[in-house]
Amino acid sequence: MNTILFQLFGALATILLAFTVGMFYGGIRRKIIARIQNRVGPPIYQNFLDVIKLYSKETSIHHGAMQHMGPVFAITASITSLMFVPVLNGEGWFWFKNLNFSGDLIFLVYMMVFGSLGMALGAGQTGNPNSAIGVTRGLSQMVGYEIPFVMSMVALMAQFHTTSITGLMNIQVQENTWLMFSNPFAFIAAVLAMLGMFHYSPFDIVHAPAEVASGPVSEFGGKYLGLMMSSGSIFAFVKLTLFVNIFMGGAANLIELVIKTFALYLIPVLYGVTSPRYRTEQAITYFWKWPLFFGVIAILWASF
Amino acid sequence: MNSLILLLILVFGGALFSYLLNKFLPILRDGFVVLLMLLVNYVFFTMDSSTQIDFEMGGIHLQWAFTSAAFLFGIIVSILGLLSIIYSTAYMKGKDRLGYFYMNFLFSIGSMLGILMSRDLISLFFFWEIMTWSSYFIVIYSGKDVDKRGLKYIVFSAIGAYSMLMAIVIIYGFTGSFLLTDIFDSIFAIKASYQLAIAILLMIGFGVKSALMPLHVWAPGAYSGSPMSFTALFSGALSKMGVFGFALVLFNLVSNQNWLVNEVIAWLAAITAVLATFYAVIQSDAKKLLAYSSIAQLGYIVIGLASGTYLGVMAGLFLAVLHAVFKGTLFMAVGAVERQAGTTDMTKVSGLIRKMPWTFTASLISIIALAGIPPLGGFVGKWMLYEALITSDHYYLVIMVFLSSTAAFLYSYRILFGLFLGQEEPEFAHVKEAPLPMLIPMLLLSGISVLSGTFPGFILEPIQDAMVVFGFDSRIPNIEWWQLTVLFNSWGDKVVLQNVMIAIMGVFLIALAFITIKGYRKQRYVTTKDISSSGEIIQPEDNMTFQIDFYKPFERAIWPLLKRRIDDYYTDLGNGLEALFDLVRRIYNGNGQFYAIYVMAFLALLLIAGTKYFGF
Amino acid sequence: MVISPVQYIAIPLMAAFLIPLFGKLNKDLARIIPGLVLLYLSYISVVLMNQIISSNTIIVEIIAGWRPPWGINLVFSPLTGFLASMFSMLGFVIWMYTYNFKPEVDNAQKQKFYVLFMMLITGATGIVLTGDIFNLFVFLEITAISAYSLTAFYRERDGAEAAFKYLLIGSFSSTLILLAILLLYTQVGTLNMAEIALKMPGVDPFMKGVILILFFVGFGIESELFPLNGWSPDVYTQAPGPIGAIFAGMVVKAGIYGLVRVVFTLFDVKEILPLLVIIGMITMAVAEVIALRQGKLKRMLAYSSIGQMGLVAVAFGIGTHDSVFAAIFLMFNHAIIKGMLFLSGTYLVYNSTEKTLDDVDGIGKHLPFTSFLFALGALAIVGMPPFAGFWSKLYLLMAAADVRLMTVIAIILVVSVIEIVYYFRVIHRIYFRERISTIELKIPSFNAKLAMFILAIIIVAVGVYPDLISGFIERATTDLLDKQSYIQSVLSVGLK
Repeated sequence: MNTILFQLFGALATILLAFTVGMFYGGIRRKIIARIQNRVGPPIYQNFLDVIKLYSKETSIHHGAMQHMGPVFAITASITSLMFVPVLNGEGWFWFKNLNFSGDLIFLVYMMVFGSLGMALGAGQTGNPNSAIGVTRGLSQMVGYEIPFVMSMVALMAQFHTTSITGLMNIQVQENTWLMFSNPFAFIAAVLAMLGMFHYSPFDIVHAPAEVASGPVSEFGGKYLGLMMSSGSIFAFVKLTLFVNIFMGGAANLIELVIKTFALYLIPVLYGVTSPRYRTEQAITYFWKWPLFFGVIAILWASF
Repeated sequence: MNSLILLLILVFGGALFSYLLNKFLPILRDGFVVLLMLLVNYVFFTMDSSTQIDFEMGGIHLQWAFTSAAFLFGIIVSILGLLSIIYSTAYMKGKDRLGYFYMNFLFSIGSMLGILMSRDLISLFFFWEIMTWSSYFIVIYSGKDVDKRGLKYIVFSAIGAYSMLMAIVIIYGFTGSFLLTDIFDSIFAIKASYQLAIAILLMIGFGVKSALMPLHVWAPGAYSGSPMSFTALFSGALSKMGVFGFALVLFNLVSNQNWLVNEVIAWLAAITAVLATFYAVIQSDAKKLLAYSSIAQLGYIVIGLASGTYLGVMAGLFLAVLHAVFKGTLFMAVGAVERQAGTTDMTKVSGLIRKMPWTFTASLISIIALAGIPPLGGFVGKWMLYEALITSDHYYLVIMVFLSSTAAFLYSYRILFGLFLGQEEPEFAHVKEAPLPMLIPMLLLSGISVLSGTFPGFILEPIQDAMVVFGFDSRIPNIEWWQLTVLFNSWGDKVVLQNVMIAIMGVFLIALAFITIKGYRKQRYVTTKDISSSGEIIQPEDNMTFQIDFYKPFERAIWPLLKRRIDDYYTDLGNGLEALFDLVRRIYNGNGQFYAIYVMAFLALLLIAGTKYFGF
Repeated sequence: MVISPVQYIAIPLMAAFLIPLFGKLNKDLARIIPGLVLLYLSYISVVLMNQIISSNTIIVEIIAGWRPPWGINLVFSPLTGFLASMFSMLGFVIWMYTYNFKPEVDNAQKQKFYVLFMMLITGATGIVLTGDIFNLFVFLEITAISAYSLTAFYRERDGAEAAFKYLLIGSFSSTLILLAILLLYTQVGTLNMAEIALKMPGVDPFMKGVILILFFVGFGIESELFPLNGWSPDVYTQAPGPIGAIFAGMVVKAGIYGLVRVVFTLFDVKEILPLLVIIGMITMAVAEVIALRQGKLKRMLAYSSIGQMGLVAVAFGIGTHDSVFAAIFLMFNHAIIKGMLFLSGTYLVYNSTEKTLDDVDGIGKHLPFTSFLFALGALAIVGMPPFAGFWSKLYLLMAAADVRLMTVIAIILVVSVIEIVYYFRVIHRIYFRERISTIELKIPSFNAKLAMFILAIIIVAVGVYPDLISGFIERATTDLLDKQSYIQSVLSVGLK
C-alpha cells in the first residue's frame, strides 16, 4: 500500500515539475522571440497567468462528446508519456520516480501520437473547417518528421541492443559517454526531427494564426484550452527529457536536467525565429531529405 | 459421425438449403442462416483436437485434420462468419437474390474451414478454388462495374491458384505424395532450383489472396464493391487464407534453404504496406480507403511472418487475428453508414456522430486498434512486430513499417472525420442509428479489440499452439493465458500492459471527470454551424464542410511515388495481349480455301520434316 | 434377344431407314423411335460394360462368320466400350433435349433430322467399335456425311457455307485416310487392325512414317487439331444447337479415338508423340486465345471446344499411363460439360439471329434454370472444383509433372486463365447486365430441362466423387496401352 501511495506521490510531483518547467520554457520562448523582433515581450510567467485565466473562465458551449474529450485525450497522452520517461538518472530523487521506469521507446513513440489523434478528433467534431485544415496539416507533417526520428531511435536500439530508455541511460552511465557522441548521425537526425515535433516556426503551418485561425484549437476555449495548454507544456518537457535521456546521458539532478533541456530547447526556438514558414509539402520533403539521409547513415553506423 | 465431415456437411448442405429456403420460404431464411452458423460454431468449438480423417479419392490419398493452426484461423472464420451473417440479416434486408448471396456466403465459409483442415495439397487446392469462385460470385453481386472489378478478381485469383497448382504438381512429381507431412519430410531431397521454383509459385499463389504487391490490384475493387457484410469476412477471414498458406509453407517448405525468399517477401510486403497506405490516404470513399488499408495491414502480417523469428511470426499471426476483428468492425460500420445514409463518399457524408453514436464508438475503438495506439490490441501486435524486426536486424524494414503506420494515422483520422465528425449537414438530418443486428456484431468485435490490448494472452495462447504446426518449437510453458500480459522481446525489454492500461485509464478518467464536472450545468450543446468564423455569420444552409482534397499537401509530397500505378501496367499488358490475340484470330479468316491450304501445307511440312526429324 | 455389340451398329442404322416409314404411320413415332433405340443402346452398354469389367475380358464380335483377320470384327473392350456407352448415353440425353426442340420445324424436316442423327450415332459408334481399318474409314464417312448434312440443316446461306467448308476439309481427311489405308494394305496385306499391329515391325520405316503422317493429318482434321481445324468454328456456329453437343461429344471424340488407335495400337511409334504434344499445345493456345476475342456465344464455345481437344491431344501425347488416363477422363468430361454448355447455350441465344454475346445480357433473370446450368458448366469446364473438369485437369497436370514437362504445365495453366476470363465474362453478362435486347426468349421445354439437368448432375457427381468414373477410365487406359493383349484377344477369337 505504502509503495503505491509513494509511487502516486512521485507521479504527482513529476507532473507538477513537468508542468512548471514546460510553462516557464514557453514563457522564455515568447520572451526570446519578442526580443529578436525588437519587442519587450510578456513576462516569462505569462503562460501561468494565461492558464489560470483560462481555467477560471466559464465555458458555456460545446459541440459534442468528442470535442469534450479531445483535450482529455491530449492530457492523457502527455501525462502517460511522462509516466514512462525516467526523469533522472539511476534511482534519482525519490519524488520523481515514475510508475514504470523501463519505458519502451516504441511504446513512447506511439503514446505520443495518441494525444495528437485524440485532439484531432476533438477538433474534428467542432465542425470548424479551419480546425480540420490544421489537423490535416499537422498529421501530414507528422509523417514527415516521425521517420527520421524513428530512424535515429532504431539506430540507437540497434547499436545498443535495448529498446528501453533506462537501458540506454544505463549504458551512458556505465560507459561514461553521451550517445550523441556515440552515434552523432542519429543525434543530428533526431534534432532535425525535433524541430518538426515542436511545431514551432518554420513548421508552424499547423496552427498558423493568421491563416487558419490557430487551426485545431480554434473552437476550444476556457477549460478546454487551459487543459490543452497544460498538456502542451508537459509534453514539451517529456520530449526534451526524452532527448536528454537518450542522447545526453540523462541528468543526475534537477539542475542538470534543467540546463540540459533548456540548451536543447533553444535549438528549435532559435531555429524558428530566424526562419520563415514552410508549406506542408515543403515541410515533408524537408524532413525526407537531410534528416532522412542522416537517419540512414545512423543506422548504417549502428549496424557496422 | 466424424465432426470434421459433419462441419463441412453442415455448412455446404446449409448453403444449398438456404438457397432453396429463399425460393420457397423466404421468411425463415434469416433465422436459418443465423442458426446454422451458431451450430457451426458449436461444432467447431467442441471439436476434439485430435480429429483426423484419411480417405482415398480418385486414387489420391487425402487427409483432413483439425490441427491447432486450423483452430487459430478457424476461430476467425467461424466467429467472424457468425457475426457477419447476423449483420447481413439486417444489412441485406430488402435486397434481391438473397438466396444466391447466402449460398455463396456459406460456401465461402465452408471452403475456408475446408482449407484450414486440409492436410494435403489437393484438398487445400480443392477448397481454395471453391473459395475463389464463391467469393467471386459475391464480389460481383452488386453488379456495378462487374466487367472490370470482377474480372480483375477472378483473373488474379486464377493466376494465384494456378501458380499454386503448378507448385503442387511439381511437388507431387518429385515426392509422389500430396500429404503435407510427407512433403515436409521429403522436400529437401528436391533439386534446389526446383525448390526455388516451388517457393516462388507458392508465394504467388498465397500472395494473391493476401494482396501482396504487385498482385494486389484486384483487392481495392473487390473489397469495396462487395456488400459490406461480406467484405468484413472477405478482408477479415478470406484474405487470411493467404496468410495461413504463407505460414504453412513458408517455414516448412521454403525458408530453411532459401532465406532470400523470405527477405524478398518481407520487402514486397513492406512496399505493399507503404504504398497501399499512401493510396488509402488519398481515397475519398470510405470503402476504398478501408480496402487499401486492408492491403497495407496484410502487408504487416506478411512482414511478421517473413521475418521468420518466433516473435515476428507471433506478431504476424496476432495481427492477423486482430485485423479480422477491427477491420471486420470497420467494414461493418461503413456498411451501416452506407445503409443508413446512402453513401460512403466522404466528400458528401459528414457529421453522423450524433446520429449514429454506437456505430461511431465501434469505429473509434477499431480505428485506435488499427492505428496501433495503446492501450488497445493493435499496439500489442505492432510492438511485437517492431521488436521482432529490430531484434532480428531488419532495421530498414522497421522504418518501412513505421512509415506505413504513421501514414496510417492520416487515413485513420480521415475515415472518422469524414463519416462521423465535421459539419452536420441538413441533408443527413434524417439518418438514424443502425438496427440492432448490425450494431451487436460491431460492438462485440470492438469488445475483443479492447480486451486484447490488456489481455492479449487469450489470442497469443492459440497462436503459440498453432506455431507448432508451422514448424516452431512448442509454446512457453507454465504461463496461463490470463497471465500473458507482459510483452517480451529477445533482448529482455518488456512492456507491462496492465501498467499501460492502468496509467492511461487512470489519467483519462481523472481528466475527464475534471473537465466534465467543471461548469457542467452551464454548458450547452451548439450546432456545428455555430462556430467562430472571424466575424462572418454562418447560415444553416451554408456548406462549411472541409472534405475535398483532404490531404492535398501530403498528396503533393508523395506524388512521385503515386504517379504511375501498377494498375496501368497491367492495363497496358492486357491491351497489348488483346491486340496480339486479335492478330492470332486472323488465322481463321473464314475462307475455306485458306483452310485447305493450311491442311496441305501442314501435310507437306510433316512429310518433309518427318522424314528428316523422326528418322523414319 | 441376345445382347451383342453388333446391335450398336445394326439397330440405329435400321432405325435410320425405318424412321421415314414409321413417320408415315404416325408423325410422333418418328421422333420417339430414336429415343427408344438410344435407350436400348444405353441399356446394352450397361450390360456389356458390366460383363467385360467383371469378367476382365474383351468381347470380340465376328461378323458374317469370318474370323479375324479375314472378316470384319467388332471389339468391345474397356476403351471402345466406354466410348460407345458414352456415345449412346449422351445420344439419349441429346435426343431427350431435341424431342421438341423446334416445334415450328415441319415434320418431314424432323424426320430427316432424326435419320441423320441415327446415322451419326451409328457412324461414331462404329468408328470406336470396329476392329477393321477400312471399316473404320467407312464409318468415318457415314459420320462425316451425316455431319455435313446436319450442319446445313437449317438451309441458310451461312449454314450451307459452313457445311461446304466442312465438306471441303472433310474430304481431305477422307482422302488422306483412304490413301493411308491403301498404302498400309500394300505393306502389310491386311485390313484387320490387330493383324496390322502384329505385322507393323516388319514395315519399311520410310513407308511407315509416310503412312503415319497421312493418318495423323487425316484424323487430325476430324479431331480439330491446329492448323487442320478451319472447318470447325463455322460448323459449330451454324449447326443446330444440339448438333454442336453431338459434334463436341461424339464426332470429334471418334476422330481423336481413330488417331490414338492408329498411333498407339497400329503403329506404336513413340516418336510421333512429342509432335502430338506440340500440336496439342498450339491448338489449345491458339483456340483459347481466339475464343477470348469472340463476340458470339456459339463461336466462343466452338473455339473452347477446339482448345479442349488440344488438351486431350497433349494428354495422349505425353503417352504415359497416367496421362492417357487423364486424356480419357478429359474426353469424358469434355463430352458431358461441353454438351451441357451447348445445350444450355442454345437456349440462351435461341431466337437471336446473330447469337452475339450481347444477346445474353441480363438473361439470368428471365431464364434462371438454363442460365444457372450454363454457369455451372462454365465453372466445370474451366476446371473449378467441385465439378468434373477439375479432376481431369489435375490428373493431366500430375501426369505432366511426372515426366517433368514443366513448360507444358505452365502453358496449360496460362491457357486456363484465358479460359476463365472468357467464360466468366459470359457469366457476368448473364447475371449482371441489364437486358437490352428485345429478342423474345424461349423457355426450354421440360424434357430439354431434364436433359440438361441430367448432365449437370453427372458433372457435379463426378466432381464430388470422381471414383464413380475413374475405375472405368483406368481399365480403358490399360486397354489402350496394352497392345499385345488387344492383338491376342482379337486374333484368338474363333481359333478354338
